[in-house]
Amino acid sequence: MGAKGLLIILAILAVATLVYFLAPKGKKRDGVVQALFLAPMVVTFAITVGIPLVVGVFYSLTDWNGLSFKNFVGLGNYIKIFSQNDYVYSLLITMGFTVVNVIAVNVLAFLLALLGASDVRFSKFFRAAYFVPNLIGGIVLGYVWQFIFNKIFTLAFPVSMLTDPNLAIGAIIIVSVWQYSGYIMMIYITGLQSVPKDVLEASGIDGASGLRTLFSIKMPMIANTFTVCLFLTLVNSFKQFDLNFALTAGAPARILAGKAIQSTEFLALNIYNTAIAKSNYALGQSKAVVFFVILAAVSLTQVYFSKKTEVEM
Amino acid sequence: MKFSRIIALLCVVAMMASLVACSGTTEAPATVAESQAPANTVPESNGTADTPNAAAPGAAIRLVNGKIEIDTQLKAFAEDYKARTGQEVIIESLGGGVDISAQITNYHASGNMPDMFVINSNEEEKFRELFADLSNEPWVAETDAYLADANGKVIGAPYAVEGVGLIYNADVLAKAGIDPDTLININAQHAAFEKIDGLKAELGLQAVAAVAAESGQMYWSTGSHIMSAYFSMGVERDDKTLINDFNAGIVNPERFAQFAEYVKLLFDYADPSVLISGTYDDQLALFAQGKTAFLTQGNWIDPSLPGYNATFDCGLLPYAFLETDTPGITADAPTWWAVYNGGNVEASKAFLTDITISDAGQKMFVEDAGAISAYKTCKYQPSTPVSANMFKKMQSGPTYAWDWSNMAVGIAQNTLAPLFELYAKGTIDKTQFVDMTVTAVADFIAAQ
Repeated sequence: MGAKGLLIILAILAVATLVYFLAPKGKKRDGVVQALFLAPMVVTFAITVGIPLVVGVFYSLTDWNGLSFKNFVGLGNYIKIFSQNDYVYSLLITMGFTVVNVIAVNVLAFLLALLGASDVRFSKFFRAAYFVPNLIGGIVLGYVWQFIFNKIFTLAFPVSMLTDPNLAIGAIIIVSVWQYSGYIMMIYITGLQSVPKDVLEASGIDGASGLRTLFSIKMPMIANTFTVCLFLTLVNSFKQFDLNFALTAGAPARILAGKAIQSTEFLALNIYNTAIAKSNYALGQSKAVVFFVILAAVSLTQVYFSKKTEVEM
Repeated sequence: MKFSRIIALLCVVAMMASLVACSGTTEAPATVAESQAPANTVPESNGTADTPNAAAPGAAIRLVNGKIEIDTQLKAFAEDYKARTGQEVIIESLGGGVDISAQITNYHASGNMPDMFVINSNEEEKFRELFADLSNEPWVAETDAYLADANGKVIGAPYAVEGVGLIYNADVLAKAGIDPDTLININAQHAAFEKIDGLKAELGLQAVAAVAAESGQMYWSTGSHIMSAYFSMGVERDDKTLINDFNAGIVNPERFAQFAEYVKLLFDYADPSVLISGTYDDQLALFAQGKTAFLTQGNWIDPSLPGYNATFDCGLLPYAFLETDTPGITADAPTWWAVYNGGNVEASKAFLTDITISDAGQKMFVEDAGAISAYKTCKYQPSTPVSANMFKKMQSGPTYAWDWSNMAVGIAQNTLAPLFELYAKGTIDKTQFVDMTVTAVADFIAAQ
């Protein structure tokens, strides 16, 4: 930055001004003005999203070590990551976690929302209470729950859930659902409250039962809320990192195809460990690119299908 | 129509110009009059802004320290140094799980490199192009623990010596009638474990040893520190065969099997709950509260002991996994301070010389920070229990090198630690532990 950056911007402006005054009246001039007004958006987007993405993909094709790179390796990194047991394993458990977590969070959040949006006594208090876990950071939650699993639950059960490879994933799901459903509940409550009263009244007069109203009126009317909530939970489950990092950090170990691997290392943690712990930045970058592609594909598909079911208001 | 367009254009230009002007460091606030004629106005360029790190002589120098525990002491020393020499030194301490190497990488990427930074021996290759040559510094002659690159160029100054091993509670051993100086081979240690196990109730112990083998957050304790014995126990300091072979993917199965025998011993006599799910705090608390006789850590636990009101005396033993006697302890400089060749090299060198071999510097490290000096001329002696015992042993007997810190980056965390954990839980037996380690190390190196 500094003087060089200033000169570049001034030069661009000078060229723009020149083009503006030299160009014949009409479309070209409008184009310049439009370009100038668009520039702040385009530049910010390029700096924060566009350039990092392109540079990231570029680095994934090299042997970058975080400081510099010497060779292009083409698709070598991509071939390597899919031949790694632990990466494929991370990919699979992340998908499994996502499926279970999305269902659990949304079912629980929706049930809580039905309660929270009703006239039950203290409903406002419960709404706030269920929302609170979401205000605590995942790292703090992870350490608190680690204590609960290791020190408190072990008073009742012989072994800590965190020491068994299968149960440890269950433990992450429990904490994740506990943490996230309050937040999703709030969105569902907002949706439920937006259902027009006259429609509900009309269904009541027609003699629809509570359940019938729920399935035939409320749920279709808030289909767009479902879209938002499913999208949020899907993306967040897939990107799960902080809780995973603090609660298990990948432990406990399990044997897979004769090799000892970390049983709860989700995709984001696997990428972090590849780049940071193993200091293999290029490989981590390739994993991150694959991560991005999968996430984009899955979430776009989900939004596409969810949109189809939404009711035109 | 045309007029309003020009006004709009000028507004945008004025806005952008003032934004740019704000981001400069010395420019006066842009006036509207200046900004309205952008093509003709080239504000004075700010020369220093384009050349980061080329600090003027006398400017403050910055040290990135990797031991958060000695942050206060370093800052006090830096202030004293400024009072003596006029040179300001900014201490930036990282710790609490921050990956130092990654942080330095980030600083490099963002053009914010410190003048001096902490470095691990296995990262020498990655940062090779950034080091200033310290070969001719006066402190090099006063220590064996400096860090040199493959060509023999000195690149790092040690600031302390640390030791890993089996820490013992001297009071418990005395009550049990065991002389710690005899516990220097596997049979002696085994017998001691057995004896103390039988006297647990009498001695008020919960278990014989506090060992933590969970692979997520305690990977460094098993995968690095306990593993250190395999490379070093009974090996001459300059014999690097085992570590070089390891980094070529080869583990010696006979030696490792003997090592595995010892690891099994540690696990068998460890508190079972801390062993499979304990954190560092759990492990330390168990020992510091006097509930175990042994602890698998290092002399860095000293500053934490008063927090538990631990009044007993401690000492450090080797992970003596061989049947022959190995009286030495595993001690070395854990990390080094290097000088960035793009920073203020001369001022940094002067500071390093002062902090390593001046009387004030050595006093600060030993008396204030509780460290063991890496320099032969140091006349101060540590007073905290484990360090004091370790210092005594370093004076009188051989020491073994910390070759584990040269292991391929990341192998302890994702490869060795899971194996130790499975072994601790009994999921795999000794033969499987050995076989799987041999294969896993070969695979890890092959995948590099």
